[in-house]
Amino acid sequence: MSQEYNNNHEILIKFVNLTKRFGDFIAVSNVNLEIKRGEIVGFLGPNGAGKSTTMKLMAQLLKPTEGEVWIRESRNGIGYENLVKLTNHNKDILLDNIGFLIESPAFYGNLSPRTILKYFGKLKGYPRKKLNSRIEKVLGMMGMEEWIDNKIKTFSKGMRQKIGIASAIIHDPDIIVLDEPQTGLDPKARKDVRDFIFDLKKMGKTIFLSSHLLYEIGEVADRIAIINNGEIIAFDTLDNLEAKSEKSIIQFEILAFQEEKVQSYIEELKKVIFPVTGIDVTAQWIKYNSDSRRFQVLFDGKPSNQFKILKELIYKGYEIIEFSVPKAGLLEDLFIELTKKNTIKMEE
Amino acid sequence: MIVKQQLEDEEKMMEMKKRKKTGIRRNLTQIGDTFTFELRKNMIPFIIMMIITALMFTLFLILQTLQEVQDIPLPEDPIKYFASYFQFIFGFLVVLTAAGFAGSIIAEDFQKQTGNLLFPKISKSRLFIGRIMARFLMNAVCILFYYILVSSITFIKYGEIPTAILLSLAWALYYTFALFSMVTFVSSIMRSTSASIIASIFLYLLIFTMIAQIMNFLAGGVEPWFLLSYYENIITSILNMPEPRYNLITFPIGLGGVREFYRWITPDVPTAFWGIFMYSTIFLILAFARYQRRQSKSEG
Repeated sequence: MSQEYNNNHEILIKFVNLTKRFGDFIAVSNVNLEIKRGEIVGFLGPNGAGKSTTMKLMAQLLKPTEGEVWIRESRNGIGYENLVKLTNHNKDILLDNIGFLIESPAFYGNLSPRTILKYFGKLKGYPRKKLNSRIEKVLGMMGMEEWIDNKIKTFSKGMRQKIGIASAIIHDPDIIVLDEPQTGLDPKARKDVRDFIFDLKKMGKTIFLSSHLLYEIGEVADRIAIINNGEIIAFDTLDNLEAKSEKSIIQFEILAFQEEKVQSYIEELKKVIFPVTGIDVTAQWIKYNSDSRRFQVLFDGKPSNQFKILKELIYKGYEIIEFSVPKAGLLEDLFIELTKKNTIKMEE
Repeated sequence: MIVKQQLEDEEKMMEMKKRKKTGIRRNLTQIGDTFTFELRKNMIPFIIMMIITALMFTLFLILQTLQEVQDIPLPEDPIKYFASYFQFIFGFLVVLTAAGFAGSIIAEDFQKQTGNLLFPKISKSRLFIGRIMARFLMNAVCILFYYILVSSITFIKYGEIPTAILLSLAWALYYTFALFSMVTFVSSIMRSTSASIIASIFLYLLIFTMIAQIMNFLAGGVEPWFLLSYYENIITSILNMPEPRYNLITFPIGLGGVREFYRWITPDVPTAFWGIFMYSTIFLILAFARYQRRQSKSEG
């Protein structure tokens, strides 16, 4: 590892040409990633793309066929020392500063969160005298303090997932790796987990988060790495990724809108908006989301056209009560576009 | 404000220094923590096994009492009375308790996917050692409990407890460890806890017994030292070692022919010691090797 990286204390984790093969099958291919201090990096990819394998390589649950994982060593909890290559010999020390939630873990149903978290805290060397108060604090942060001594077999899936996240952070690590933490959860539990991830970020934690739920990743991640067929096909901020695709979406809500007439509204809106989207006629679209009661319009992402769309809507008398360019609005399109390109490239 | 921050930093630094245990210290700490966690986790199976142990003792006690009611006299020697509680059913008790405690020892991580929760926090080797220590201790307590019950009734009947039973207890625990290792190996290759429990009991009660019978018939002169179940006999034989250690059995075959074969009663002490040692070692090594290589369903 060059001195340049060692001096750049912002980088906490670095994957260098990380590759994992299972026989002839390449699960992870030449992955190069840097995760900086305090950021949330979203790791996005379809099922079987190599997300979990990459995380397991980082956790030393699997050994890489080629390449390396470098982790910055914590200096007794205050600041950092050099980036150190992760090996079997130093994994105890290096991985102590990382909390892992790998896939959806199962729990021992006849035990309470307190018993299990106490065990995990001890394994990771958290001071024993402070362990009880730490468990209470962590479960309190998740709104589960009342369940602390109940048996886990009585918990819902969302509650178990929260315990999984609690097990990853019980030893107060600086880096948290969460593999699909929101998968299979109901909307309320997903929101709880998302809010909790934001809370962790506010505490200064660095988070590496995988998901195939595009919208959820876009909501929380500062940078997004897109993986497909084991290869990283994009790694940037959402804004930059959208800028590269030269597309974005606007969503807006119309006051006193009659939902049963949505089709005629869309036809009228097309006439008003399409001339100012900056998008080629064949690629244009307007959609209506009945859940949020908002229209969505594809445009070229330029602020001047964003303003023109708003101006035209107001001019034509639409009572607009909400008008925004949502973060991650285009992530799904972008993701499909990039993975399609990657698949075609691999087939060639 | 700055002073307060410095104090907080110093406190955190001291705390982190304490946490940075490495090498043998860390291994021992994690094994110890796993040991106590496993004791707690397996408390319900332990209670169930203690109840089963007590029930088995009660069953034998009832049989003994029925004999007494029918005026069949008690043996004069308390050791013979003591040994009578170890016929037939004790081997079953040992395999049942071993299966109860070791059946899930490896299979549960893959069946329930609890491995994803554990392995980034602890290595498989430390987890394996901690679990074996805790679960074998529970298994051993069940066997000890049976000995205490039998010793108590012997004391009530005879007013003394022969000290030779301590030797028998030592062999019983040693033999239990070999069976525990066998079940651990079965657990490492099975997909579920229940499958490993059933397979272990089936292997012990049917396969081993069948092999022993076939060997008696086909190669009666050969001592069956290669059969794990053969070593169970040392537990009672050590109280009164027979000489010779086999019976010669003859039975008629065909037209006036006679066939002879040996039925081996017990191994001698050195054979039993090394036989059990080899079985325990090989099974544990194979189980650990399989555990190390085995990955959860979703891996890969």
